[in-house]
Amino acid sequence: MKPFEVKDCALLMRMSGLPPAMNLRELRDRIATCDENAMYHHFCETTLRPTFDDPDYRNDFAVWSKLYLGDRVLAERLGILDPYSFPGMEELRAVVLEIIDDRLGELTMIPWVRPGDEFLFKQSTTVVFDTGERIQDPKDLHDAIRRMTNGSVYYHFLEALRRPPVGKDDFSTWLMDGGAEFEPYLRILGSIDIQFHSLAHLRGDLARALRPAEEGG
Amino acid sequence: MTPRLAAYEAIAGSSAVTQLRRLGEKLAGFRVVHVNSTREGGGVAEILEWMVPNMRDVGIDASWEVIRGTSRFFEITKNIHNALQGRPVDVPKKDWRIYQDVNEENAERLRPLLEEADAVIIHDPQPAYLLKLCPGRRGKWVWRAHIDISRPFRPVWKVLRTFVAGYDASIFSMAEFAMPLPHPQFLVPPSIDPLSEKNRELELSEQDGVRAEFGIDRERPLLVQISRFDRFKDPIGVIRAYQLVRKVAPVQLVLAGGGASDDPEGKEVLDDVMEAAEGDSDIHVLLLPSNAHRTINALQRLADIVVQKSTREGFGLTVTEGLWKGKPVIGGDVGGIRLQVTDHHTGFLVNTFEGAAHRIRYLLQHRKQAMQMGSTAREFVRENFLLTRHLRDYLTLLHTIRSGSGDPVVYL
Repeated sequence: MKPFEVKDCALLMRMSGLPPAMNLRELRDRIATCDENAMYHHFCETTLRPTFDDPDYRNDFAVWSKLYLGDRVLAERLGILDPYSFPGMEELRAVVLEIIDDRLGELTMIPWVRPGDEFLFKQSTTVVFDTGERIQDPKDLHDAIRRMTNGSVYYHFLEALRRPPVGKDDFSTWLMDGGAEFEPYLRILGSIDIQFHSLAHLRGDLARALRPAEEGG
Repeated sequence: MTPRLAAYEAIAGSSAVTQLRRLGEKLAGFRVVHVNSTREGGGVAEILEWMVPNMRDVGIDASWEVIRGTSRFFEITKNIHNALQGRPVDVPKKDWRIYQDVNEENAERLRPLLEEADAVIIHDPQPAYLLKLCPGRRGKWVWRAHIDISRPFRPVWKVLRTFVAGYDASIFSMAEFAMPLPHPQFLVPPSIDPLSEKNRELELSEQDGVRAEFGIDRERPLLVQISRFDRFKDPIGVIRAYQLVRKVAPVQLVLAGGGASDDPEGKEVLDDVMEAAEGDSDIHVLLLPSNAHRTINALQRLADIVVQKSTREGFGLTVTEGLWKGKPVIGGDVGGIRLQVTDHHTGFLVNTFEGAAHRIRYLLQHRKQAMQMGSTAREFVRENFLLTRHLRDYLTLLHTIRSGSGDPVVYL
């Protein structure tokens, strides 16, 4: 089994260059044309952003629909989308547009927001770097995770899902090399519902899930 | 490890500091020059005071230069500043000429350093013209706007835009503060320094001393708003909210701020506040000197509820300061306050003094929930709004502009 290479990442947000959306129709039109990285940012990178909020939904479109458009129906429909279950951002975009188009068809007037509440499209650059840390034994993984930064947790558990092997986090990929002994851990990792976790909570859950049986895991 | 960055390990966590060192290692020797217009006083100087030594601490060859100017120059740049924040202040051509002349004088002195640097970060409008005066520059130039320029007085912005459009990138504190420019616009929220006089832990005896100094009753709840005496901070609204609460609960109010004496508008607001507070010994209006950081720190710690009932606000770092001290915040539903205060989570957003009174009463009746909000808020600040995160954003920015690839992921 090769040692696990611990990586870290840091996120820098930037404006996407798209004009703000004042209403649902404009949101739809901007989503139709925005860069894939803007889609990715608003769906997947929200946990890595500086925030004071722990919102109901993990994607910004659902949060905006609820808080500013005041459309809870749309918020619920968008909020349940799991971006990692789609092969790519284009497929996710198509579904988002369909949901919004359906909602526009149901409404008698287009919901809009007051000035200052517009949806501002952002994207980000992620800088990924090797920490130099190596985990030799899977039994040490839970302890290493406890010490990891949010950036490392994000990179290995969430961002990993879109890297080959697509849909697998790095911890599971590594443990699979360890053979049948680690299958129970793989099952637990697979059962963590990432939709409801801040990175700090996720780190705690991962560390607990990977604690060796003799330590009470 | 030098003590400065190491000192933050106990607060931000050792992994956060290690992360900074690793990001810094890969920029070892990278020459970065910050340029602003004052060595002390004001938020930008406060940031650079910790930013530059900490950049050095992680291995970057960072330096800080301050442009020199006449008092006329600074009057003009104050007008530019106000105009960028939306005030209809005209800046005539002759004033722009003075602005450019002062920048030219500074360029004569700074040109060799700036042209040789790997990255130059120009803070705010005062030195922005330097870019045009350094044609031999070899590094990347970034314009850092610390103010909200989303709704500027257009004639002034149109001129300044011609100076800043040529930069390789710009930085804004919030997406809501940005203006479209023909280069990448990065977003770096501000932060607080948990070891500064304003934010460091204080002995209870020192807090008691401040309580006694201002005649605050230990037994009764205290509301505190720290802000300049400025109409946009709505101190009169806070007094009205207090008066509504006072009908049912024996609260006390502190309105503390500084710098009003030499500001005609501030003096007028202060007079109105004094008049509104007249005859009520439980309203403490405190005009504090600009270096009263520990007093402000103590007042925020003595508060049961921190109030920031602004009707217009930039980021609102006083809110972050209150949250860091574990206090729920009742804030105006404007600007950066909206990012920091979430109803029932870190405090409450309000639009009226009636709304503020309602939420104050709620928190006074739900003390356990108020304490929970305070502790949640403190953890959000620890994770996201301490200077360690701020420094990480700058290091990430330097890696991003150095790579120059425009790719969404940069592998070091």
